[in-house]
Amino acid sequence: METPTYPKGYSSRKRRSQAVAFTICRLLSLLIVLVLFAILGFIIVKGAGVISWDFLTKAPEDGMTSGGIFPAIVGTLLLMLGSAIVAFPVGIMSGIYMNEYASRGWVVKFIRLMTNNLSGVPSIVFGLFGMALFVKYLGFGDSILAGSLTLGLLSLPLVIRTTEEALKDIPDGIREGSLALGATKLQTIWKVVLPMGMPRIITGLILSLGRVSGETAPILFTCAAYFFPQLPSSIFDQCMALPYHLYVISTSGTDIEAQQPIAYGTALVLIVIVLVINLLAGLLRKHFEKGLKMH
Amino acid sequence: MKKFLEKSVRWILTASGFVTSVVILLIIGFLFTEGAGLFGEPVIEDGYVLAVNKENPVSRLSAEEIKAVFDEDITNWKDLGGNDMPVRTFRLEDADDYFTEEQLGSQYEHAGEAIAGLVASDPGMVAFVPGTMIPDGAGIKLIEDKNISPGEVLGGKEWFPTATPAPLFGVLPLLAGTVWVSLFAILFALPFGISIAVYMSEVASERVRGILKPIIELLNGIPSVVYGFFGLIVIVPMLQQVFGLPVGESGLAGSLVLAIMALPTIVTVAEDAMRNCPRTLREASLALGATKWQTIYKVVIPSSMSGIASGVVLGIGRAVGETMAVLMVTGNAAVIPGSILEPLRTIPATIAAELGEAPAGGAHYQSLFLLGVILFFITFIINMCVEYISSRNRAKNR
Amino acid sequence: MEKIEAKEVDFYYGDFHALKHISMDIPQNKVVAFIGPSGCGKSTFLRLFNRMNDLVPGSRLEGEILIDGKNIYAPEVQVDELRKEVGMVFQRPNPFPKSIFENVAYGLRVNGIKDKAFIEHRVEEALKGAALWNEVKEKLNASAYALSGGQQQRLCIARAMAVSPSVLLMDEPASALDPISTAKIEELISDMRGKVTIVIVTHNMQQASRVSDKTAFFYMGEMIEYDDTKVIFTNPHKEATQNYITGRFG
Repeated sequence: METPTYPKGYSSRKRRSQAVAFTICRLLSLLIVLVLFAILGFIIVKGAGVISWDFLTKAPEDGMTSGGIFPAIVGTLLLMLGSAIVAFPVGIMSGIYMNEYASRGWVVKFIRLMTNNLSGVPSIVFGLFGMALFVKYLGFGDSILAGSLTLGLLSLPLVIRTTEEALKDIPDGIREGSLALGATKLQTIWKVVLPMGMPRIITGLILSLGRVSGETAPILFTCAAYFFPQLPSSIFDQCMALPYHLYVISTSGTDIEAQQPIAYGTALVLIVIVLVINLLAGLLRKHFEKGLKMH
Repeated sequence: MKKFLEKSVRWILTASGFVTSVVILLIIGFLFTEGAGLFGEPVIEDGYVLAVNKENPVSRLSAEEIKAVFDEDITNWKDLGGNDMPVRTFRLEDADDYFTEEQLGSQYEHAGEAIAGLVASDPGMVAFVPGTMIPDGAGIKLIEDKNISPGEVLGGKEWFPTATPAPLFGVLPLLAGTVWVSLFAILFALPFGISIAVYMSEVASERVRGILKPIIELLNGIPSVVYGFFGLIVIVPMLQQVFGLPVGESGLAGSLVLAIMALPTIVTVAEDAMRNCPRTLREASLALGATKWQTIYKVVIPSSMSGIASGVVLGIGRAVGETMAVLMVTGNAAVIPGSILEPLRTIPATIAAELGEAPAGGAHYQSLFLLGVILFFITFIINMCVEYISSRNRAKNR
Repeated sequence: MEKIEAKEVDFYYGDFHALKHISMDIPQNKVVAFIGPSGCGKSTFLRLFNRMNDLVPGSRLEGEILIDGKNIYAPEVQVDELRKEVGMVFQRPNPFPKSIFENVAYGLRVNGIKDKAFIEHRVEEALKGAALWNEVKEKLNASAYALSGGQQQRLCIARAMAVSPSVLLMDEPASALDPISTAKIEELISDMRGKVTIVIVTHNMQQASRVSDKTAFFYMGEMIEYDDTKVIFTNPHKEATQNYITGRFG
């Protein structure tokens, strides 16, 4: 075979196009980092001046033109707690079923399909559903209970998936080892499998809380109060929530001048919650990975 | 005893395994029952009738015609298939212009007869009045009222749920708004998403990737109201200036915000797919004298195409269903948008904006549930596409 | 004539000293086999000849490797130019998820050849050279994945040869194949002998003795012995070589 005559200079030409392409990729990535920092920086800079002890611990005053956001913070924390109570036990059990009990085949496939579909359902549809089922049909009214249930269902797919993935990574040998010692399946799961999967499950749960803390659409019609300065006294009360408060203040405010700072402050508190949760999850993951390496 | 425990736990776990399926069924069930109720509602506002002169040959009007008549866009009966005579409309609020208080009675007890008399005497008159008020016979007839039809809703070009006498529930403008915003969002996000995925999986060092990955995750974690707020305060005024718009709230603002929000999904899934491209394929390409970039676009990207595709489709799904951010920055005009620089309104934003004001159980309320059904099915189809793409991919890689 | 000269080569993966002070000459258009137990460094050494180890982060090379008298690790050398000269066939068949035709044409295309007629001609020649033409000429547009494992490996050889390299590196090219496919690959190597310099890594000693002119034995990162294949397999000078080829370890 004769040697083909390769075009002269093609080699340097293709290296040049590589340099161009990589530079574009690098620049676009950098741009996104900048966008994130712009968003964070903007809210932090504008919001930092608003944050004070009073802002965090007082109720809104003067038609929400002054005062703090304490009820909204409490409301968001309550909703996070409520949704956790709804979603975590069921979600973890569902994940355990998927990985440990369900016979391979169509059952698992079907459940996974449904779980994926549920995670794709827009949050506003959850809101509609929560309103129809919990608020109207079951008669809970606009309440923390209805909001928690709605948010709980919303975070269910995430909890299930994390649990399933955490358990999937535990080698079968460990289960067989326990079973060989005469432990029942339940004992094996309870004493061996779950403790091993726990760190990763917890990481996933924390992240799902982060998602819940920022959701607005599902609580619009199931729970969130426009203005409810006292703290809720039962789960059948409405409550304020940070994301909804931010929405209300920034879109239907009565006095933009006075309310904009409150909006910045609210956004900052929301962002801080999300940042802390992400950081916590990241640290936990790192800690867990280190522990794994030591084994 | 132990056996019983094992069995009951197994039973409970099995039950919780199907909880997502049950929730999906419940969602479908509840949304459907409420949404389908719309088609059992009369076109004319519940409890009201349209009365015309008995001589008037027109006996049927569509919702859009009714609206046109009462908005005075149609002023002659011949446009409605009737005789050539001017249309005159009468609403209950107009009663004082026609009658004295005496004629109506202090409790409006004579109003019905008075109005009936008015309609009977004026062949061009159409009156919008409560059905119980109008006495039978006496030279008038009622416009036939049917139920709202699916065709009117799914093919309707006007969304005017609070219009009287006949609200309009045409979903096309909302559908168009949703499609426009999502489409542009993906167009913006796609080049970024692919480039970042390429950069993270192929170009960046492990250290840089270790910085980028949490940043992308964080971008995913920021609540949508915060994006909406940022869009409202920063992007909207910016667009208004740059394009010299009368209002900055526009489809473009929505798609920019959505692009940022859909980006993490695209990047994560696409990067995952590219990293899964076997090392042996890269080596084969490099060993033939290809550069890294040639390897990326000739081998890595094509072989991870289905992963990239599912990332993009998931991103579209996220954009289509996004509510708060879009609600805050798109201006919410329920018209079919002529350009992306105009305000528009998406399906989720409509639900969020209007459900609070819609009286429970009414046609408006039901129509919003119907929107929910439509949205649910759009995202359901999108999800099925993702499932299909990735299952095909799994089959290929086996 | 020497095609490849390695001069006092040391190679490190991070702290791990993978190759220790290796010098050897590989004659032009001959077949040289590298044998030795797994992890002995023979594959690592092979992958130095087309700088495939450049991809491994934290790796480091000392010494020189010359091809046609030029140091391929000199700063002015472009790896893609080098790899055009030095082709490679891998342990497992790794065709691209493209058509048979596009697989073979790939190397020509990425090196800037656009002439369609030439590419077609070249693909045919390369497939004939790999004894694959008759099996695939009817289905050049079919996916390469539709071929059997042995056919895929011959396709990979055709793909490497289409660029017309002067050196072909083969990293255990038959280890994933059945005996019949293996025999076909060995036949191909014999056909190519005298036209191209072939360096083949193998764990199969019969294969080394069947196909190669010279054989090098590697052990624990060192090249223990390098001589004519006949000598290595009949009368090795070192005890370790003797032990290995008689199957006492490895």
